[in-house]
Amino acid sequence: MSSSRFPIPQGTLDMLILQILSLEPAHGYGIAQRLEQISKSVVQVNQGSLYPALHRLEQKGWLKSGWKQAETGREAKFYSLTRSGLRQLRTEKDSWARLTGAVQLIFDEGSAR
Amino acid sequence: MSRIFNWFRLRNLENELDRELKYHLDRRVSDLIQSGVPEAEARRRGAYELEGAAHVREEVRDVWLTRWLRDCAYDLRFSARSFVKSPSFTATAVISLALGIGATTAIYSLVDQVVLHALPVRQPERLVLVDSNGIWVGGGFGSYNLMPYPFCRDLQGQDKVFEGVLCRAATTVNLSTGGEHRPAAAEVVSGSYFPVLGVTAVRGRLLTNEDDQPPKTNPVVVLSYDFWQTQLAGTPDVIGRKVLVNQNPMTVVGVAAAGFRGIDVGEVPSLWIPAAMSAQAIPGFTDLLGRTRWMQVLGRLRPEVDLARAQAALQPWYNAWLEEDTRKPGFPTITAETRQRFLSASLKLTAAPQGHSVLRRRLSQPLWVLFTGTAVLLGLACLNVAGLFLARGSARERELSTRLALGASRGRIGRQLLADSFVFALIGGLLGTLLAPIAMRTLIAFLPRDAAPNALQSVIDTRLLLFAFLASVIAGIAAGFAPAIQAGRRSFNSSLRERGGTASGGVRLRKIIVTLQIAFTLILVIGAGLFIRTLKELTIKGPGFDTSSLVSFGINPSRSGYSKPEADRLIRRIHDEIRANRSTQASAVANVQLLTGGSWNNPMTIQSTERSITELAHLNAVTPGFFATLGTRIVAGRDFEEQDTLPEKEGGRRVAIINEAFAKRYFGERSPLGALICQGTAPDARPDIEIVGVAANISYRGIREQSEQVYFPRVQGEYSPGHFYIRAQGRPEAVFQSIRTALHNVDPALPISYLRMVDEQVSRSLNTERLLAAISSSFGTVALLLSVVGLYGVMSFVVTQRTREIGIRLALGATRPAALWLVLRDALVMMAAGVAIALPCVWALGRFVESQLYDVKPTDPVTIAAATLVLCSTALGATLIPAHRASTVSPIDALRFE
Repeated sequence: MSSSRFPIPQGTLDMLILQILSLEPAHGYGIAQRLEQISKSVVQVNQGSLYPALHRLEQKGWLKSGWKQAETGREAKFYSLTRSGLRQLRTEKDSWARLTGAVQLIFDEGSAR
Repeated sequence: MSRIFNWFRLRNLENELDRELKYHLDRRVSDLIQSGVPEAEARRRGAYELEGAAHVREEVRDVWLTRWLRDCAYDLRFSARSFVKSPSFTATAVISLALGIGATTAIYSLVDQVVLHALPVRQPERLVLVDSNGIWVGGGFGSYNLMPYPFCRDLQGQDKVFEGVLCRAATTVNLSTGGEHRPAAAEVVSGSYFPVLGVTAVRGRLLTNEDDQPPKTNPVVVLSYDFWQTQLAGTPDVIGRKVLVNQNPMTVVGVAAAGFRGIDVGEVPSLWIPAAMSAQAIPGFTDLLGRTRWMQVLGRLRPEVDLARAQAALQPWYNAWLEEDTRKPGFPTITAETRQRFLSASLKLTAAPQGHSVLRRRLSQPLWVLFTGTAVLLGLACLNVAGLFLARGSARERELSTRLALGASRGRIGRQLLADSFVFALIGGLLGTLLAPIAMRTLIAFLPRDAAPNALQSVIDTRLLLFAFLASVIAGIAAGFAPAIQAGRRSFNSSLRERGGTASGGVRLRKIIVTLQIAFTLILVIGAGLFIRTLKELTIKGPGFDTSSLVSFGINPSRSGYSKPEADRLIRRIHDEIRANRSTQASAVANVQLLTGGSWNNPMTIQSTERSITELAHLNAVTPGFFATLGTRIVAGRDFEEQDTLPEKEGGRRVAIINEAFAKRYFGERSPLGALICQGTAPDARPDIEIVGVAANISYRGIREQSEQVYFPRVQGEYSPGHFYIRAQGRPEAVFQSIRTALHNVDPALPISYLRMVDEQVSRSLNTERLLAAISSSFGTVALLLSVVGLYGVMSFVVTQRTREIGIRLALGATRPAALWLVLRDALVMMAAGVAIALPCVWALGRFVESQLYDVKPTDPVTIAAATLVLCSTALGATLIPAHRASTVSPIDALRFE
């Protein structure tokens, strides 16, 4: 898949999924669409890795799932955030902020020289 | 835990994932179509973006499983590391489990081999044993489920029900393959035997229907693989070789397949002889191919026929067959009532994938009893390990609390504890599996061997490995369950608060475990008590005569080609020689060996003031002096005299001696002397034998039973087997020597069936009881040990925990005995609860063992009281040590301790 968009960094997909689900419960396709919008042609999300990630998060207890009627009338599997998922999201956001801050600091230092 | 569920729910998850992915794809395709992409292109793109559903499925599955496996591996590694750090704890736990699993595996192996294992033949599940429910008119001999030979041949015509029908009987023959004559186990079989079972030959051919056409001029036999290998060193030129069976030359035509050991696990034949040769194989009987019942009949059902349908289909045929039988020449005269009962017999079909076995009949119940015992023992071992874990859990309290505080889930910690017990159980299982063959050998050694060896082996096979593994897994779960739950309930707040020294929840669980241990132990100890008492009662009862310095041996000259008169003359010569020996105090010959389970029996007709008939009476023919040799009193009348043994035409009298049980049952208070009796109950039976004496009761088939017996004099020329009973003067070894010399002098080629002290025969006849007593008492001892250790552990812990409390009480004026009582009370409550749990279980299990007991009820109050006493005194002993420590607590130290 040749594209000008760069691939999403390792580990960030989980965070993005948690973020999306923190707004409202969604099914896999819905999450994929939201990811498309978020990435706005900048970050490339491989849809094939979405479902493994969802199941992994569910295994960790950060998501729970259930079959509900979707907007099309068909039954779809909806994912929602659990309390520990919410906590996890907060931690990840936090560490993300710290990480990017730190990286920025290093870059700034480098360019200052 | 959810991942363990995942393992089982995999199919379900798979379906759900499929639905989920399909939903995604459908939505994507319809969105693309709406945005103007042609349908084919939309489908292609949808699938492309998902990188192929199969790929996604793979990855999701990995998420479910690898994660679980990885966690497991971590848990196991952590467990292993922590075990290495505490070796004594590990050793105790592993040895407990190894004992439990090893014992269970060993007993299960016997249960499997004796009771469960199907014959190594083609489709054994379709074999059925055919037997008759009802009376039979005519003679018979052998063990159980006996039918006459013609029945088998006629049943073969029922080819809508059976693919084939076979019949067989086990016997012992004198076999010579060129050298010495030796007793060898043989199976006399119909020509259909091998084809119906579907057994193949490794050399030559097997028996066919042509070999079983009487009269046969070309007698043939098939050897077993084991016999060929061990006795003939597997020589390739065995085919065509002549062997002597009871002195009759027969030709070896083949060797059966290696794993095939006949259809009786308890009696492995060395050779197979066609039924057409039964007169040669079993000398001394007439009419073997006629109406005599002596063979077991097995059929192979057609695939489309089940047991119930076969039974229904065969009943009318059987009724007609019986009807026809009464019209055959040689059918005895019987009363109308007997005829009615004879004709109303019904056919009974039993599934027989395991073949037919006398050993199974005798042993299956004791084996199940022992298996239950081992299960209880294994349960006890699990409880012991659970108790140890809980004890360690209290020591690890802080570690676990810390881990909880750091965010480990309770499930994760519970699983860690489960992993601990799994590792133990698997190591224990491995060790147990290594120990099991030793135990199996010991168990198998309890079973007596005569000419026919049994097929029982102390080998670990895949079935057994699987069993041991399953037992280990179950033990692992059982042992780890309580600690895991305890960990799940633990809250780290409370454990931090607990530093004050109040009793924690772990102690309560441990007390429950010890209570259960006491209950399990009491069950085992009571069981041991019952079996020991049974053995003791039977040993005290004995056979009713003095067995010390009593030697017995048996010969059967008719198996060496002697005719009946010749055999009788031979036996007399041997007897004379033995009697003349100085080491012989007294001696006698009987026609039937005592205490082997076998018997010669018949109902009798009595003619005294009126004519009456009896139930089966056990018969024997003995030489004069038989009762004196055994030391049995003649309570009325007289013993046999030499003159009684003369044939009738030479002036012999027809006389009999009955035992007290017979006299009591059929004569009551009247004197039986002078009454006339005879064998059989037919209307034309002529009672012409005079009862001349009454002998004290002695055991005949076994020590348990009290039977009605009738003795006839061993009339010259009428009996061929000889079972000698010799009272030794001085050392019995001298008698053994004189017997061998006497036999050698008359016929060096005559094999001796057995030669042993009667004491040994008595102990052989009690081997099942001895097996039960020995094993159950070792179970009881191990159980006692385990629960005492458990109790001691808990009480020590409690005392340590309550040191402060006890110190305060003492400081406030409590006496030392009061402190002692404080601890003892705890232990007594556990014991009382344990006893209260055990007693109803004993009552429930009692019916299960009742038939194995003698002269003692499963609810025997003395045994139960004694067992409880033993348990409680041992347990109290274990409690007294920590209790004593509690009473010597110094209040000052206890308070300073904090």
